[in-house]
Amino acid sequence: MIELNDIVVSYRTERGSINAVDGVNLEIPDGCIVGIAGESGCGKSTLMRAIYGDILSPMSLSSGTIEYGFNDRNGEPVTSENVRNEWFRTLSYIPQSSMNSMNPVIRIREQFIDFPGTDPNKKRVLEQVREYIGKLGLPVEALDSFPHQLSGGMRQRMMIALATFFQPNLIIADEPTTALDVVVQKEILLLLMELQEQMGNTILIVSHDMGVHYQVTHKMLIMYAAKAAEYGDSDSVFDEPLHPYTKMLIGSLPTIGEDRARHGIPGSPPSLWGDLQGCRFAERCPLATGLCRSQEPPLVEHKPGHFAACHFAGADLPDTGGAGWQ
Amino acid sequence: MGVVTFIAKRIALYFAVLFIGLSITFALPRFMPVNPIDGYIGELQSRASATIAPEGLAELRKSLEELYGLQGSVFEQYLAYMKRVVIDFDFGPSYTYFPHPVSSMLAEALPWTMGLLMTATVIAWCLGNTVGLVAGYFYKKRAASILEFVGILLYPIPYYILAISVLMIFAYIFPIFPLSATFPVGALTLDKAGTILFNSLLPGLALVLAGFGWNILSMKALAIATSEEPYVTFARLKGTTHRTRMIRYVFRNALLPQVTALALSLGVIFNGALLTEIIFSYPGIGLIMRQAASGGDYNVLYGAITVSIIAVATAGLLIDLAYPLLDPRIRHK
Repeated sequence: MIELNDIVVSYRTERGSINAVDGVNLEIPDGCIVGIAGESGCGKSTLMRAIYGDILSPMSLSSGTIEYGFNDRNGEPVTSENVRNEWFRTLSYIPQSSMNSMNPVIRIREQFIDFPGTDPNKKRVLEQVREYIGKLGLPVEALDSFPHQLSGGMRQRMMIALATFFQPNLIIADEPTTALDVVVQKEILLLLMELQEQMGNTILIVSHDMGVHYQVTHKMLIMYAAKAAEYGDSDSVFDEPLHPYTKMLIGSLPTIGEDRARHGIPGSPPSLWGDLQGCRFAERCPLATGLCRSQEPPLVEHKPGHFAACHFAGADLPDTGGAGWQ
Repeated sequence: MGVVTFIAKRIALYFAVLFIGLSITFALPRFMPVNPIDGYIGELQSRASATIAPEGLAELRKSLEELYGLQGSVFEQYLAYMKRVVIDFDFGPSYTYFPHPVSSMLAEALPWTMGLLMTATVIAWCLGNTVGLVAGYFYKKRAASILEFVGILLYPIPYYILAISVLMIFAYIFPIFPLSATFPVGALTLDKAGTILFNSLLPGLALVLAGFGWNILSMKALAIATSEEPYVTFARLKGTTHRTRMIRYVFRNALLPQVTALALSLGVIFNGALLTEIIFSYPGIGLIMRQAASGGDYNVLYGAITVSIIAVATAGLLIDLAYPLLDPRIRHK
């Protein structure tokens, strides 16, 4: 189980410090796929970087701890202190743009063996890589190609092979299918799901695409303005969302066979620079009251395993018909 | 098959460039209003106080025209010139060192120039790129800006000032090297090789200092841009070492424009030869060219220009043939 204990991640800027992730508490059980959604600037990528341990100036983990619940090669528990030594050993990363994430001038097989890994015998590793690629049903010749010789989909499959080859406990995927067309997107997601099922590891997927989350994830985290708004089993989150933001987000998704006009969420998220008081969604929330504006709602468990940070969690939204939206 | 066709086409292009270059070399001096034979005869006449008989003059003119390939129409001259240059690499005799043939003068001087300038250019390139790579890769570290400072300091100094300063410092203020070096000629012995090497250090140093500032600045800029590429970020997230990322990721990708620059600067080393060889009295093509230019020794100038055309064209050919080896995205079609 991965535990995030009240973590605050801030960026130091010329104007002062800004908290891009502001007190997130989360328990992620082992062996599940967790989707993280939210609009741009909500802190989801920052949270991913913090969990991966890629904390470089001006970014810093100002408070809170991350416990990963698995051990490194020496049997020591992995924490945010030593997680960087575990990159591509016990945890791995699938980048957003496979297009540009491979070195264009060296062959793909070289990119499978140039990180420290666990086995210093690179020849043996390469043999294992070939075997693994074959097992995944990918063409072994692709390993001897240069990145530009492969299609976008094949490159991303290679990326997934790279990230799963050494059976990591945790995989972080930052928009793994964003640049791909929907058919390839589906194949990539299926590959990822299949591998996760075989290996039983934990995958965190960041995506803007709620459709991707619906298909793939076991659990969902909805973030809003640097905070967790809702967290729970995906079925529960999609079927009975508790937070008005989640409701509006899901309400804005198109479904087949229904030709109702879809409504966006009016307004925009608050600036993280200001003195934030009360619920951060209050300005855009049809249910907001004086309580919401003065008191910040904590993330509490409303149903078993289903958390939401809202004073009126589960209340129905008034049917505005999108009055506030043009 | 594609590769063979490409190489064949590229080599054909190479010969076309040489042909055009040689033709221009032939044509250019012929646009000049002066006729070297008239000039020579005029000089002779004034020296002999116009005592040479007209028949003698006509004979002299005929034999000079024959000697310098100036008989017949321009087109006939052109054909004869091309035949001589292409087949025998014969530029006729030097006027100043008559009857010493130009081709053997060039052949004697060429190893000196090539040896000094190619070595210095390659050293400057390697050093400059290494320093620039480190400065660019670690550009956020303060120590890296000190490395860059070396480049900023050296780059804008004009070469002649740099060369004279080097000479002043290391031969006059601290007399480590001879102020006016002598280079032994004749058969190479171990002893002579030592002297040549020692006396070449100073011009070499001046050339390296002059070439290396530009390489630092250029490589640094390329390395900074390359280290921001997503593949370098992803390599970092894979846990690769700084060394791996710096060499295999940043350097390999930033290398390509620098290789072009190296090949081009190797092609134009004769420009650098001129000043260096004058200042350090180094017996290469530059010195010969200077003497030829001041003495109106056309044949030597043609020869030197032809050699330099061949050098630039060959450098271009070599980069084009080597590029696909460095960048797999470039493929012959």
